[in-house]
Amino acid sequence: MLPLLVRFKVKEPGRRGFGLWFPVILIWIILAALMLVLLPFVLLAALITIWRGPGLKLLLVYPLLAAVLWHLGGLTIDVGQKEKALLIDFI
Amino acid sequence: MNEERRKILDMLARGKITADEAEKLLDAVGDPGTGAAAETDTAVRRSWKYLRIQVEPGPNSEEDERVNIRVPFKLIRAGLKFAAFIPREAHDKVNKAFREKGMDIDLARITPQDLEEIVSNLDDMTIEVDGKDKVRIFCE
Repeated sequence: MLPLLVRFKVKEPGRRGFGLWFPVILIWIILAALMLVLLPFVLLAALITIWRGPGLKLLLVYPLLAAVLWHLGGLTIDVGQKEKALLIDFI
Repeated sequence: MNEERRKILDMLARGKITADEAEKLLDAVGDPGTGAAAETDTAVRRSWKYLRIQVEPGPNSEEDERVNIRVPFKLIRAGLKFAAFIPREAHDKVNKAFREKGMDIDLARITPQDLEEIVSNLDDMTIEVDGKDKVRIFCE
């Protein structure tokens, strides 16, 4: 499932930690717009290099990237030591 | 009861085979319970969604490190498909690094099917390491 929120939590020794709930869906919207703008150039590059280069592989970038982003939901990275901590949680 | 077992028992009842022969034949066709159990086990394994990596400090740990990582299996599968984008020049470097570690692996020969097989068998894996820290890798 496409994550809509990401939760950050950082704590360092001697400093005040901070937590953040970020609506990552905003990033996806910007990224989608960017990918749409770049699509003609990617298609052109794929056509030019189809016989002697990445060619068709370039066309796979879009669906593969979409698959990775779509399945980010549920990814949790929680690392910590005595006074240090880092949490990234895609929700 | 499946058809094969029924036939064997039928042959035994008619006296066409002895009890010993029937026993051997029943062993050969397998225990019906085993098949059902295997199917249930497979269904449970298919329902696993995440690969978990947990590191917890052991009783003798000084660092007090803890790690808790949860990676969706679908993300691993999607990420592995990007392996197709690894340039040929990088293959040589990776192969060389593998050989230095004593593994004779040619990255160019690994197909998407091989990677899929590796990922699909990850759910059989449970690793527990007890040292200074307690490491667990499992599926849930």
